[in-house]
Amino acid sequence: MIWARVLLASAALELAHLRRNRSFVALTALAAVSFLVMVSLFGLTGSYAPVALINRDGGPYAQRLIEALAGAHHSFALKYMSADQAVIALRSGRLVGIITIPAGFSADIERGATVPIDVQIDNINVDLTSDVQRALPAAIVAFGRRHNFPGLRVQMVEHDVLPNDTGYIPYLVVSALGLDAMVIAGILGALATAREFERRTVKLLRLSPASASAVLAGKLTIAGTLATGALAITVLAIMLIYGVVPVSSWATLFTLCACAAIFTCFGAWLGAMLKRTLAAVPLLFGLVMPLYIDSGALEPTRFDGEPIWRIAHLSPIYYAVGALEWAYHGIRVTPEPVYVDLLVLAAIAVASVALTLGRLSKGGVR
Amino acid sequence: MIRKIWGMARNDLAVWLRSPAAIAAALLPGLGMGLLVAVLTSSVGQQPVALVVQGKGRLSNRMAKIIRADGDAYLINDMAPAEAERAVGEQRVAAIIVVPENFDEAVAFGSAAVDLYLNNVDIDLADDIRRSVTRSAAEFDAPQLGLLGELHGPSKGILLPNPFRVAVAEHDLRETNVSFLQYQVIPIVVLIIISIGLLSTGLLTARDFERGTAKIMVLSPAGHLPLVLGRLLGCTLITIALVTPLVAFGFLTRYIPYCAEESGAHSWLKLIFSGPCAWMLSVPSWTHALALIALLLAVTLTTVGLGTLLGIAIRDERLVTMVGLNGAAYLFFLGGGFTTVAFLPDWIQAASRFVPTSYAIEGLRQALFYPDLVGFQQDLLVLSGCATLSSALASVLLARAWSRA
Repeated sequence: MIWARVLLASAALELAHLRRNRSFVALTALAAVSFLVMVSLFGLTGSYAPVALINRDGGPYAQRLIEALAGAHHSFALKYMSADQAVIALRSGRLVGIITIPAGFSADIERGATVPIDVQIDNINVDLTSDVQRALPAAIVAFGRRHNFPGLRVQMVEHDVLPNDTGYIPYLVVSALGLDAMVIAGILGALATAREFERRTVKLLRLSPASASAVLAGKLTIAGTLATGALAITVLAIMLIYGVVPVSSWATLFTLCACAAIFTCFGAWLGAMLKRTLAAVPLLFGLVMPLYIDSGALEPTRFDGEPIWRIAHLSPIYYAVGALEWAYHGIRVTPEPVYVDLLVLAAIAVASVALTLGRLSKGGVR
Repeated sequence: MIRKIWGMARNDLAVWLRSPAAIAAALLPGLGMGLLVAVLTSSVGQQPVALVVQGKGRLSNRMAKIIRADGDAYLINDMAPAEAERAVGEQRVAAIIVVPENFDEAVAFGSAAVDLYLNNVDIDLADDIRRSVTRSAAEFDAPQLGLLGELHGPSKGILLPNPFRVAVAEHDLRETNVSFLQYQVIPIVVLIIISIGLLSTGLLTARDFERGTAKIMVLSPAGHLPLVLGRLLGCTLITIALVTPLVAFGFLTRYIPYCAEESGAHSWLKLIFSGPCAWMLSVPSWTHALALIALLLAVTLTTVGLGTLLGIAIRDERLVTMVGLNGAAYLFFLGGGFTTVAFLPDWIQAASRFVPTSYAIEGLRQALFYPDLVGFQQDLLVLSGCATLSSALASVLLARAWSRA
């Protein structure tokens, strides 16, 4: 009973503190949305390379080749412009390449000749260059297959493991929820404990007969609730702006709440360790991007090689992304079952709370 | 006058050096991004796939050889069917490519298939593999559709007929040997400068208001102008002091033996050193070096001016940290850090022309990677304009804010 009353009092105090720091809380939520936007910007570079198409032929085969290019595994965003405009755009970095279909293309194809199409590539970035280099044969194969040209002996037959591909941006924005959970909940958790050291009130906590666990629980309840609210706004943005709807609303809600709670505890430990909000916030910002990338955020981590995958197990976001992608899209991005991901996250939370309580009761005071 | 300016600058430097949390705040996001580049680079381009060759004939072997030869696209693991299936389930491979038992006979009838069992977990990964396997299958009938054919076939005047009737004559725009890693390191340098410039100046300025030391500035007999100039000089020196060792380290990492691509070191060692090795900058000629210094200085001054404005506007250390970190991230991404501006929607492309970091990133790449300095003048001009404007505005507003403190 007393424990519960202390918890409520501590929660009320934490809420009062956060009310006085509304700008800070708002900026934390803004950071979450910012990460979402930035991840989306990165996602836009994953497909549809802007390429100028100059059609000097205009015949039916040229048209079919253009259709094949447009349908080549989301590879090209074809832009129609004059050759001069295309060269200017290519040299100023607004295009990845220029594809020129030569005059007489259709006639030559009709009589069975092989026609080279001229492709200029801005090879400044090897990743983009490779994508274009691989996509062109794919388009040419589709073109040849469509016309059943003689002499085609081998084709690729695809069997997908999953019924549908998950779009790159939908995949990224959901993994960004893991990142957001760590940033928002982590910062609010860190704020809750670091404040005690910054204002030297930790001494009062130690002298107080009230249970430290009840005080911490009260603080973290408020921090976690706020973090969940901010995450809910992010999810709404994902649903309304990106049009990405979860396959299982309840599983998504549960996973998000779990992530918020767990990362709040993690943040509380960080705040108690560093004793300064000013140190904890940038540390979280600095840690979060590499942890995010090495967590199955762009693709299942194990595809990046065994060493990277093993290191990924040190990142809480690895388990969060595993659980979130499963809840939101119904896909598995970790070889471990989802319940294992959630159990590891719960263990991190328990360890964080224990360590935080230890710091609050014994750590040095500035 | 100079002694007063220098006195203020020295004081700011001393305060900053006694603030490890603030130094960490400025450095950590940039260094975190650097680590991210290292991890990202090791996973770019190639996908792990299992190759199951069930056909025993000459043509099956040829097909398998074509797939194995495309080392740019795949990390091939030869496996038996059962092992491959397990590997897909455990996510050790992203796909299984099967050259079936009847491949040779089917080729004779013109109906041969290369089966692709694909973990299509996201479209980017799945499309990469689809493109690569389609190209490999096409190479069987049309060898010039392979990478070597694209680069050295029709574009060099050698055109072999192929049944698809279309070949690719690829012409690369640039003669460059810049790796993906080196290319991506440049935005990180810019991010670090932005973070340090914005946060160091913003925090020092906000601290003066929070702790009431701004009033002491007003009462100082030194006068406003030397103190304002001292603040800007001090913060510029802080940024230079933190960035110079990092840039110098970038020029020295080439001497780490594990950084060479063919070092033969164990993958774990390579991974451990991937962070420092990612931080590898090309050594420029002296003209390019001068251009580089001018550009870095212009970026530093711009961010110092912006940081001062941030500190004046917010006057709260914690809020300055949050706004500074958010602002640095936006400047980084909209300027072309980790994104290729050409891919973004038109309105973002237009907006990025108003983001100074886009000029900084372009200019740095030009100075470090290319033999000429095409477009560099414009980049430097824009950045110098931003530096002048932000410093002038910061000076005027800081003097006014102090006098009203």
